[in-house]
Amino acid sequence: MLQFALAGNPNSGKTTLFNALTGSTAHVGNWPGVTVDKREGVYKKLNSPVAVVDLPGIYSLSPYSPEEVIARNFILDEKPDCVIDVVDATNLERNLYLTTQLLEIDVPVVVALNMIDAVKKSGDTIDAKKLEQALGVPVVPISALKNEGIAQLMERAYAASAKKRQGASVLSESSLAHVIDDIRIALKGKEVKDPLFHAVKLVEGDEIEVKNHPAEAKMAQEFKAQHKDDVFGGDFEAKAADARYKYITAHFSSALHRSAKKQGMSRSDKADRVLTHRIWGIPIFIVILFFMFHFTFGEDLFYLNTIVGWFNGGEGFCFDVATGSDVLDAFVAVFFSSAGISTPGAILFNLTGFVTDQIGALIETGLDAAAVYPWAKGLLFDGIWGGVSSVISFVPQILFMFLILSILEDTGYMARVAFILDRAFRKFGLTGRAFIPMVMGFGCSVPAAINTRTLSDDKERIMTTRVIPFFTCGAKAPILAAICGALASAYTGVNADLIVFLLYLFGMAMAVIMVAFMRQTSMRGEVAPFIMELPAYHLPRFSNLMAHLWDKLKHYIKKAFTIILASCVVIWFLSNFSWSWQMVPMEESILYNIGSFVQWVCTPMGFGLQLGRFGWVFVVAAVTGLIAKENVVSTFYILAAAIGAVIPAWDDGESGIGAVLALMDATGITWQALIAFTVFNMLTIPCFAAAATVKAETPKGKFKNTVGFWMLTSYVTASLVYVVLSWWWTAFIVAAVLALVIAYFALRNRGKINLFGKRKGTGAALRQ
Amino acid sequence: MLYSLCSAAGAVLSVAIAVLAAGAVIAVVILHFVRKKQGKGGCGCDCAHCGGCCHLHKKEEKE
Repeated sequence: MLQFALAGNPNSGKTTLFNALTGSTAHVGNWPGVTVDKREGVYKKLNSPVAVVDLPGIYSLSPYSPEEVIARNFILDEKPDCVIDVVDATNLERNLYLTTQLLEIDVPVVVALNMIDAVKKSGDTIDAKKLEQALGVPVVPISALKNEGIAQLMERAYAASAKKRQGASVLSESSLAHVIDDIRIALKGKEVKDPLFHAVKLVEGDEIEVKNHPAEAKMAQEFKAQHKDDVFGGDFEAKAADARYKYITAHFSSALHRSAKKQGMSRSDKADRVLTHRIWGIPIFIVILFFMFHFTFGEDLFYLNTIVGWFNGGEGFCFDVATGSDVLDAFVAVFFSSAGISTPGAILFNLTGFVTDQIGALIETGLDAAAVYPWAKGLLFDGIWGGVSSVISFVPQILFMFLILSILEDTGYMARVAFILDRAFRKFGLTGRAFIPMVMGFGCSVPAAINTRTLSDDKERIMTTRVIPFFTCGAKAPILAAICGALASAYTGVNADLIVFLLYLFGMAMAVIMVAFMRQTSMRGEVAPFIMELPAYHLPRFSNLMAHLWDKLKHYIKKAFTIILASCVVIWFLSNFSWSWQMVPMEESILYNIGSFVQWVCTPMGFGLQLGRFGWVFVVAAVTGLIAKENVVSTFYILAAAIGAVIPAWDDGESGIGAVLALMDATGITWQALIAFTVFNMLTIPCFAAAATVKAETPKGKFKNTVGFWMLTSYVTASLVYVVLSWWWTAFIVAAVLALVIAYFALRNRGKINLFGKRKGTGAALRQ
Repeated sequence: MLYSLCSAAGAVLSVAIAVLAAGAVIAVVILHFVRKKQGKGGCGCDCAHCGGCCHLHKKEEKE
């Protein structure tokens, strides 16, 4: 089968083209660096099927980043039948820099002038034929987004793949031409493939090439020693880059005709004046985040009911509808209740709860009618259905949150947030680029950890990977919703969605604090410079949004009916059977024994020995969360049933609110301990899948430290949260200790104090 | 007679529930190991972000 590779600059639309060609639903984001690994698919609309490989976005073929190494190695080693160079036509000159490097390889190249629709819209024109003549390879204008020109592109690539192509360099007119040619001839004599490409890279001083071809590297070195100039000195890479850009300007730029009518600021620029404002940028982002959580988790739309209540002696305008029909009342409560007018997320959650409630009632009735044994009913209804339905009922609500995040991402706003946060992040030892994987962590830690590959600095990468789980993922959201919802039910004046929002902010703050701490201890060093191309704002694409949501939906459903279902069965079994495989009361169960053995460990966090014979309950819930965080809420239900806690009649059996309230009554756990429990789950080891990904993404030997970091951070922080919330005056002691630590680091960075011997690195991270 | 039939059906259904539940657990465990052997199990998400196979590539790169 023929193989075509898609190469190009980051955010030039390679993955959009890949999806259009192969029918895939690979993640497309409006920021550079979404694709971090190569991906394969098949295009079937030619005479014979063609394998299409989507390569990560790169700016050059020099091996500076993992993406550049992946793309370069693939093109040189795998030798695709054709390289389709995807060029962002709205940034033609800069994108052609990579093209000039691709042309040096002995491989057929076809240039896809992507986003040609945006060029036309702006009033500019590109003469593709003229560019084709100048480049010497086919040039096809396309719009991957609108599926225009794609068939023609593939036909031309197919035709090009049938002919062999010799590499050609735009440097042949520069002062480097002579040495490049000499080295090329030497390499060709040794039967090295792609001699021109290797020759150019040797002259540029490419580390890999110098190592692989020492004799030719010496030739380049001798030439450099004799031809230093005042502008570039001995930096021949810069000299080559300058020559490339000069050639591009001289020979290719004439194909681009800019519109005379474009004057003043574009819409993107106008929006950026507000959204990336140096003072208002971050507050605007926090407000947007708040509304995202309010629309997802809030039960009182815009707090209208609460606000009316303030002026009406605590009486809002909303009420519980009582028609006499339970089903009708439950249906109306989906949209409207005494809590207020439901937000979109709450409506979705209530609707799913309403449906799963009806299904649950049917299952229970069916099991009673079939006269199954009580243990079988317990297994199927309390164990399996209780667990799986509590996960499923959260899916639409979490998908709604993803929809908002996807909209923010697709419009290009999230790339701006990385930019506005860079200044703040830099003070703590990270670049704004690290925000991209972090915000992906709101969805799932797995792709977020993989995305850290786009970070150039190893230390920054390790630190970011470690704190990604602090960005509460979709699986942890139900824990927050259940516990905060229960607290709102148990205490008047408590606002559930506000606590959820504050906990999300707390997770983000912890991430920043721990990064700063690592920068001052084990990960000392300077912060890498941050350069990111800001994409233009555009309206979110419906197909993209749906692809994101479909992706998440598949993920949840698959998880619910595999690992979560299996976990529910195991937890139910362990909480109902003894070591001798006899069905026993909870106090004699395997789970009780294991939980009781380790419950003392959780005492500093408020949910250990304080809870007496029920101290094991929350320990077990936290441990099941290590398999998948969705398990925590389902475990609440299974354990509430196992210990005989009375779940309120109004509970839908899925939200976890009733289960938490029942556990509060039965075990006597305090609200402070519940918050500490939530914090522990937010910061501790993520689920197995995420931990496995982090292991794969971290350098050898660092994973053990990472696990230790998660355990220690979650344990200490949750303990501090419990202590401070329980005894407010301890906040002063904690603040004093923190102030001492900060003062120590500040003095040490100024060289005035050093308690732990020799310094490594510099204190530049803080001083910046 | 009807009572005996009902209780027998209940017993059969109860055993079936237990067998299916145990089967589901065993199937999930086996599936996990099979996928891991195929190089897809390390991640577990199998989402479009990485196609579930990125960790295999990563391992190859490390080696």
